[in-house]
Amino acid sequence: MTAWNDSAGGRRARAILTSRPFLTLAMVAAVWIVASFVSRGFGAYGHLRYLVELGAVIGLVAAGQTFVVIAGGIDLSVAAIVTVSAISLPLLSWQADPTGLASVLAVLALTTAIGVVNGLGVALLRVHPMIMTLAMATFLQGLLIIIAGGSAVTAENPLVHWLGNARPAGIPAGILLWLAVSVIVLTVMHATPFGARIFAMGANPLAASLSGVPVTSTTLTVYGISGFTAGLAGVLVLGMNGQGYVGIGDPYLLASIAAVVLGGTSILGGLGTYAGTIPGSILLVTITALITVVNASPGWRSILFGSLILGLLLLSGREQARR
Amino acid sequence: MSIIPSAKSTGALYWPVQARRNIGVRSLFLVVLAFLVAYGVLFPGLFTASGFAKFTQSWFPLALVAMAQAILMLTGGISLAIGATVSLGAVIAATTMAGPLGVAGGTAAVALAGLGIGAATGFIVVKLRLPAIVVTLAGSFIIGGAALLILPRPGGSIPAWLSDLLAGDTPAAFVLLVVIVLLWKLYLATPLGLSLYAAGENPVGAYRSGVPVDAARVAAYAISGLLSTGAGLFVAAQTGSGDPVIGTAFTLNSIAAAVLGGIGFLGGQGTMRGALAGSLLLSLMISVMFFLGFTPVAQYVAQGLIIIGAVAIPQFRKVQP
Repeated sequence: MTAWNDSAGGRRARAILTSRPFLTLAMVAAVWIVASFVSRGFGAYGHLRYLVELGAVIGLVAAGQTFVVIAGGIDLSVAAIVTVSAISLPLLSWQADPTGLASVLAVLALTTAIGVVNGLGVALLRVHPMIMTLAMATFLQGLLIIIAGGSAVTAENPLVHWLGNARPAGIPAGILLWLAVSVIVLTVMHATPFGARIFAMGANPLAASLSGVPVTSTTLTVYGISGFTAGLAGVLVLGMNGQGYVGIGDPYLLASIAAVVLGGTSILGGLGTYAGTIPGSILLVTITALITVVNASPGWRSILFGSLILGLLLLSGREQARR
Repeated sequence: MSIIPSAKSTGALYWPVQARRNIGVRSLFLVVLAFLVAYGVLFPGLFTASGFAKFTQSWFPLALVAMAQAILMLTGGISLAIGATVSLGAVIAATTMAGPLGVAGGTAAVALAGLGIGAATGFIVVKLRLPAIVVTLAGSFIIGGAALLILPRPGGSIPAWLSDLLAGDTPAAFVLLVVIVLLWKLYLATPLGLSLYAAGENPVGAYRSGVPVDAARVAAYAISGLLSTGAGLFVAAQTGSGDPVIGTAFTLNSIAAAVLGGIGFLGGQGTMRGALAGSLLLSLMISVMFFLGFTPVAQYVAQGLIIIGAVAIPQFRKVQP
């Protein structure tokens, strides 16, 4: 060990350099540098900004997913919730609402309620999170087809349009939204009693419950947050797309879970941080962009996407060996 | 579930052990029986030869994927790629059987694909120590992509005589299921099968006692893959062609059937007969909805509700006393 390792500052620097969020960030930087040498135009500021803007959608979905996973659960209904949000928003437009704020709030309330129902099933009915959220996704999928049919719906909401297209000070509004959400999420996760409770619950639910953590209400809140952020992502993706359709949210299920795991959060719960999920989301978008550059059929694209995620997991997502 | 039935434990010990293993699923068996009687009263066609054949055919693929999921959950694993694997099995069957390979070659290709995919997944999960849920979720993209590559849109064909044999008026599906269940009993008597429950219930303890934990888990994934592609072959025979996304619904249904059948998520808890009963219950519900004239979309909605309800109610009862 060298001398600077023994000093307090040195140890701190070492801890940061070997932390999972930093490693994921380094991986993003490496992929970006290599890709910009290989493909002309990849490294342009405009393109990278666009990537981060796309990453904002995954990042928002993954924010709720990070909470749920740290609390020891998993939310497989996020894709369906994103679709619910993107489809019900155009349907919930009122004449007496020139800014469109009311309908956005109504949709967010709806998706939060869906999340809370997930939480009710998990906490009160004691259904396993995977079953509860997968069944919820199946249920919502059927409902969406009944409501929207096969056609796409166009959003005429000024606020949503602004969110998807405006660039205050040259930075897309979606990125600013993500930034704001990230600050709130990191604060709640690491600097509030609620944050401490979800870590405790994920590490050992029984011990947490015996230590006075209100497991039921915490679970409801965690799944509610996931519904809320997935709804927010749906609003953003609707703004960027202009249209909502059944299936618009489908890519975000695997993406959100992969972003969480790539960012160093343990899928078993109790360990992790949103600070890792942020570079994880950008990494995923970068992968998707690289796959799009390679002009391939949907089958090959799907294979490449799955393989690259598996490969990245091998680099960073391994569990501790037992024994 | 600390005691595993084996072919060696003859007579005196065997039946009491089996009776104890049945306690957990006894109420489920009663519910299934009640449903079967109700179904038989509502649709008397069930008791004719062709009605029975049709009924077992609609149950068969679900029974296979429920077994595929249950064997993984018994070892403490899970697969979210079952649906994609079923689709892959269906497209491989539909593209190879009418070609030069013939039915025998096509069946071999389906079986090899299932075993290979399962073993590869098992290797990644067990040897490379990645979380099963993420590996199989990523795997579902890879396997689904491969199915799309083989058959970009619904098509291909299955020889008519095979469709008639498997999905015609013969009880072939039921016979196959009985054979598979007997094979499962045999497997449980082999060293790998004996290790299955131990590897799921307490992997560290089992490892320290010399149980081949890793081998048992990889073998479970391989068998699970084989059962899934087999279900795909049967679905292709039923529809007479292949469809690259036909298996999607089986992922949720397989987990639901296994959980309905009393298989625990933590490994080592539950019995295969329970999983089979769970799949039968689910299949009965789906058939009843179909006969009552639910549209496929409404079936989605109802299925989501029923699964939550069916999983929640037993859990609820467990908490009360």
